[in-house]
Amino acid sequence: MRTLKQRKTRAWIFQAIVLLSTVGLTVSFVVIARQNLLSQGIATGFGFLERSTGWPINFALIEITARSPYWRMLLAGLFNTLLVGFLGLAFATFLGIFIGTIRISSNLILNIIGTVYVEIFRNVPLILQAIFWYAILTHLPSPKQAIPLGDFGFLSNRGLILPALDLSMADVYLLLIATAIALYAAIRMQRAGPELARLAMPLPALAFLGVFVLLLFIGRTPDAPLMTLPELRGLRFVGGVSIKPEFTALLIAITVFGGAYIGEIVRGGFLSVDKGKIEAARALGLSAFRINQLVRIPLAIRAMLPALANQYVWLMKATTIGIAIGFPDYFMVVSTAINQSGQTMELIALLMAGFLLINYSIGHAMNRLNTRLAIKGKAA
Amino acid sequence: MSRNLILGLSAAVLTAGLAAPALADAGDTIKTIVDRGTLRCTGHNGSYLGFAEVDDAGKWTGFDIEFCKALATAILGSPESLQIIPVSWAQRFPALQSGDIDVIIKVTGWTMSRDTELGLQFSRPYFIGPTNILTRTELGAETAADLEGGVFCINAGTSIERIVADYMGARGIQYEALNFEKAEELRSALYGGRCDALAGFGPFLAATRFNAPNPDDFVIMDEVLALEPEAIATRQGDDNFVDVINWMVSGLLMAEENGITQANVDEIRANPPSASVERLLGVSPGMGDRLGLSNDWVYNVIKAVGNYGEIYERTVGQDSPYKLPRGKNHLWSDGGLLYSLVLD
Amino acid sequence: MAVALAPPATDDNLMAWARRRLFSTWLDGLITVAFGALMIWAVARIVDWGVLDAVWTVAEKDRCREVDGACWSVIGARGRLILFGLYPHDEHWRSTLACIAIILTMGFSCIPKFWGLRRLPALWVAGFAIFILLMYGGILGLPVVRTEQWGGLSLTVFIFAAVVVIGMPLAVVLALARRSPLPVISGVANVIINFVRSLPLLAILFTAAVVVPFVVPDWAQGDKLVRVTLAFALFFACYQAEIIRAGLQAIPSGQEEAASALGMKYWSRVFDIMLPQAFRNSLPSTINQFVITFKETSIVTIIGFFEIMASGNAAVGTGEWVSQFVEVYVFVGAIYFAFVFGLSRYGAYLERRARLTHG
Repeated sequence: MRTLKQRKTRAWIFQAIVLLSTVGLTVSFVVIARQNLLSQGIATGFGFLERSTGWPINFALIEITARSPYWRMLLAGLFNTLLVGFLGLAFATFLGIFIGTIRISSNLILNIIGTVYVEIFRNVPLILQAIFWYAILTHLPSPKQAIPLGDFGFLSNRGLILPALDLSMADVYLLLIATAIALYAAIRMQRAGPELARLAMPLPALAFLGVFVLLLFIGRTPDAPLMTLPELRGLRFVGGVSIKPEFTALLIAITVFGGAYIGEIVRGGFLSVDKGKIEAARALGLSAFRINQLVRIPLAIRAMLPALANQYVWLMKATTIGIAIGFPDYFMVVSTAINQSGQTMELIALLMAGFLLINYSIGHAMNRLNTRLAIKGKAA
Repeated sequence: MSRNLILGLSAAVLTAGLAAPALADAGDTIKTIVDRGTLRCTGHNGSYLGFAEVDDAGKWTGFDIEFCKALATAILGSPESLQIIPVSWAQRFPALQSGDIDVIIKVTGWTMSRDTELGLQFSRPYFIGPTNILTRTELGAETAADLEGGVFCINAGTSIERIVADYMGARGIQYEALNFEKAEELRSALYGGRCDALAGFGPFLAATRFNAPNPDDFVIMDEVLALEPEAIATRQGDDNFVDVINWMVSGLLMAEENGITQANVDEIRANPPSASVERLLGVSPGMGDRLGLSNDWVYNVIKAVGNYGEIYERTVGQDSPYKLPRGKNHLWSDGGLLYSLVLD
Repeated sequence: MAVALAPPATDDNLMAWARRRLFSTWLDGLITVAFGALMIWAVARIVDWGVLDAVWTVAEKDRCREVDGACWSVIGARGRLILFGLYPHDEHWRSTLACIAIILTMGFSCIPKFWGLRRLPALWVAGFAIFILLMYGGILGLPVVRTEQWGGLSLTVFIFAAVVVIGMPLAVVLALARRSPLPVISGVANVIINFVRSLPLLAILFTAAVVVPFVVPDWAQGDKLVRVTLAFALFFACYQAEIIRAGLQAIPSGQEEAASALGMKYWSRVFDIMLPQAFRNSLPSTINQFVITFKETSIVTIIGFFEIMASGNAAVGTGEWVSQFVEVYVFVGAIYFAFVFGLSRYGAYLERRARLTHG
């Protein structure tokens, strides 16, 4: 029998070895990389971020031209990833709730539809689905034979064209900022007390509407029409906003695929609710609606949250397959930038940093939600 | 959570925190190739028609592939000593820099940033590629200006992206650039009507048009956006390897100038018409030993793949499905821009 | 307050069953009729397109433009490209046999009889040896086929199998390390797991393909396929480690303490007491992880491998077959579906079996 002291020493030696080899390995990576880059005369450092890219992308939330610097291009890519990611998460959640609900409903036909849906879309790779939807969308008619949607929009292989309000980008930012401030104020008021809480509820909506109306009538150049309607001129539609098929295809794929998974999570959450609790609520004479509202849904959500958090992170990462269908997400922009600038190491590091940031934020937000809900439920 | 975030981020930054460039020698590529017994050359992640494509039997063919074979023969004596590594456009430079491949023969334009910042060394151009526009016949467009507002499909991460942006920007023509990683996706997007035009390397456009469900639906405009010299890229600092490549390209052209073909190379070697042909084919020493190769390496190359003209006609020219005219890629004596170096 | 409710309905007869499942309320009935009609219509359309109006042979391919249905000729003409990728034409039989060998190995490892710390590794080593022997060749007169020529379905199953076989032991190590009472060990494991799990698989594979050669010495560089497979295995291991850790946590701590008290050594406690139970606890999640991994093998197409997804894409990349994209994607999708659905059904079976044996 070894003594406790001996065992402790051994543990410390073991840990020191692991730590040293980890550090040593990392250092050797850096040294070798440095040597390799130097010996080939490859420029290093982040100076290239200030240089202009020389190529444009067709989908960006901020203005991008061939003269924009690399950092702006990367930022545009990151915004694209966030946009398609968060919209995808939101839609997938709605779809998932629907699918999960019809799978546990008592109606046989709905059960069958839900099951078939889940089995088909869960068992085929996401990338194949994205390519498939993209192929479908690009086989729509060309702009000249575009399918009109009422009097408002057009559907063609160039995307969905819709009328747009005549607001500049600055207006949109202003609107978002005003709403965010109002939202923050509302949350603070809600915490302050019950009287203020009642007032706080409509505050964000009021702020949004107020600034919106203000902008529409004051913040615009005079004589400009309130709304621009799309109109076919030459090869393209002028006016309105166009939603590109690359974006739509990726969004559909993430929604449909994510919906199948979230549907299963929702179903699992509802099935995990103890039958006895529902029966107890029924015995208390609560109506079916109140049982759902007060017992079943809160309990189910609590059971779903951890799995849902994982699924959200997973779906966010899955946006990287945008590269397969030409959607300029963060990964695609980084990959093109690597080729155009040759700054492989720096750009890969930025790629990793970007995703770490996004995913830790999601993880953190879901954790906070989880703890808040969990504490409420316990009579501690 | 946040401690992990900091650790992760600092690891990522650490990997990137490599500053201060300098120059040093880039090893001996030829020795590496000889030791390994194979040349590692670029393929494509899919089929780049006419230059690196996969036939129904899964074999690589095309203009660039023939040059890979020629280089493998020059160094190792046999076109079989060749590994074609499929890489995408975006991966070609990192793959070369990291030593995954020995050389890039992948219609790579000689640009300043690649030459200076990527640590690349280019050979003399082996192909002169115009950048053209392929468009739909039904649009009736004759110049780029007629495509105002149209969608241009472009290979992501190529010099074409910049050429188009420059050309259209200088003329104030609005367009929408749609970039794809792979040639298949590019073609599907064009055939499917997602884009009005495909901007790219002229010969590739011709091959794409030929491969269309109905070639008459598409037309290549006469307008030339830029003339790009395509060169073979190697790691910077290996002068001997670049010499070998330059003389290989030159040897293929010289063979054509002197009428030496795959079929008659034995005959001419037995009976050389001039002193320089004698040296070229290794009858008298000089061609090989000065480069560190065997003296008959050009003979082996011609025997394996033929001269420049033969390679051209077989892969993209008259003997291929694409029937591309040679244009600027004729010898200077036939009105083109190609010439051989002086073999003394 | 309390209202006496009727006892729950039982499936006495068909009518009662139909009323309960299809027409319990008038709204329910409406939904049944509407969605039932929709379903019948959709199935009819699919059968029309895929079977009744379809063109089946390569010889008849000219008819494809005329009919409304599917043009399965494309599978006949390009099927070999889809299934084998760049693999040399004359050697396709080797790819087929190799593929069958791996699938058989997977099949055998689904049988409980083979579950054991000695049997399962032996089975996989044998399966892999046969696969690599057939695919790579170089002995017994088989010509060498290098990894960059591997492609199609056999590359897909190879990547999947290799990732699971390499990733599983790695996952066990990471899971044990993370539970270790030694702070440095658990810290290092923690950082690795969280770092890898936050990154997209594509970014990790791209790094392995492009960046790793810069940071390791030449002799350690290896083949691109090997590098990418190892990186994929690491990704798998970090997910699987969390699954195993959850399985370990579910074991009452008294068990390990009891084993310690009996004087069992660490490795004996881990291999004889902890791991078998952890694996049983985490079986459903593990199978789910397998399913996800199989689907994610399709991502290697982006970094230049000709697995079945990429070769399927290449098959429609020519002008001749460009309009037959639906057929090819349905074909490739069906292959994935067959594997993934099979796996998930097997997982469900295991879950049922576990429930039965444990009461």
